[in-house]
Amino acid sequence: MTPQQVVIDVLLGLAAVVAVGSVVGLIAARDDLDRLHYLAPVSVVSPVLVAAAVVAREAFDSRAIKALLVAAAFVVLNPVLSQATARAQRVRERGDWRPTPDERK
Amino acid sequence: MVAAVLLAAFLATGIVASHGSIMRRVIALELGGVLTTLALLLLAEGFDRDVYFDLAVVLAAMSFASSLVFVRFLERWL
Repeated sequence: MTPQQVVIDVLLGLAAVVAVGSVVGLIAARDDLDRLHYLAPVSVVSPVLVAAAVVAREAFDSRAIKALLVAAAFVVLNPVLSQATARAQRVRERGDWRPTPDERK
Repeated sequence: MVAAVLLAAFLATGIVASHGSIMRRVIALELGGVLTTLALLLLAEGFDRDVYFDLAVVLAAMSFASSLVFVRFLERWL
């Protein structure tokens, strides 16, 4: 086994552990806002690790660039989606996303 | 191997998405979209198919857009 293969295996193993951990967190979390937190590791860490593994295997060819593009898309778009989901949850619960006077105190 | 693990995790998100509150289902759907995209990336690399990488890029963008549409509907109308 070459050092390159070891690096790829470690990166992919970490990506799988993070993804499985996020799914376990999704199942075990107490409420929906807690569940939303487990979206971040699998959307930010795992795609970067997978893209790094593809780069380690292929160098910077078209495949590696596409993998990096996917990772960049998740890193940029996941916070937007999490914020929109949390906002929708709050609107459904309270009718408005803005803080109430009690919450401002 | 890792793609199989991700697909197994995707099945677990499918089970979560099949019952419970509607927000829980949407969050499971969002997580499932990420897992599917990563599995596609790994399968494309494993099977040595360039075109599958394009599929993963498109799925990354479309899963974000579809989740955002779901969330906006949940906020306003459902």
